Amino acid sequence: MSTTDFFTAMEVSASGLSAQRTRMNVASSNLANAQTTQAAGGGPYKRRDVVLSSVDVPGMQGSDFSAAVKGVAVTQISQDTNPPRLEYDPGHPQANAQGYVAYPNVNPVEEMVDMITASRAYEAGITAMSTAVNMAEKALGIGR
Amino acid sequence: MSIAPASIVPPSVTEIRGIDEGPHKAKQADLGEAFANALTEASNTEKTATHSAERFAKGDPTMGIHEVMIASEKANIEIRYATTLKNKAIEAYRELMNTQV
Repeated sequence: MSTTDFFTAMEVSASGLSAQRTRMNVASSNLANAQTTQAAGGGPYKRRDVVLSSVDVPGMQGSDFSAAVKGVAVTQISQDTNPPRLEYDPGHPQANAQGYVAYPNVNPVEEMVDMITASRAYEAGITAMSTAVNMAEKALGIGR
Repeated sequence: MSIAPASIVPPSVTEIRGIDEGPHKAKQADLGEAFANALTEASNTEKTATHSAERFAKGDPTMGIHEVMIASEKANIEIRYATTLKNKAIEAYRELMNTQV
């Protein structure tokens, strides 16, 4: 249809924006829980990570090259299997028999880098979207 | 060194291909129909945009800021498309009405 092709670029960018927003949420969850020694299911908080997959864009199925153009979606939020960080603190209520407390396997520096990457990727998605909108506006201005 | 004189043959049109009146005449573009379609589409997108803004205001967790912005931007483009078609139709009509007789 007339305007659908510009909307495809917008839909793809929108899926990217949503994925980056989820990444940001996961990074802030990791940062907020960097010192959490008691999580649901026992043990310290385990670092979360997003799994991104390419997916079909909604409303794109009937159009040309629909198999080639893909959006992105978070299909899973996995838990980091690295061992927890052990700290010697015998007075802590969660200390084990040897006096060690298991802290989450979260590295705040890593999370900061993740957040910066997510933020930059979000900006890039918005730039792609603005370019698509600009193209549509230029097309409307043909012959003016 | 001798150069053979080039024999210049003036170009002449021998055949024109690609002009086929038959099917072209049968399928005439209707500007009014295109405008009606664009208007329906614009109305639908505008409704979607309003709906998503409403859901965002009500605190729907699946509706983020960028979803609302994208929906309203889409509605903006659709409405401008419909307006452009309307302007073109009116322009064409005025052009005809101003014909000197």
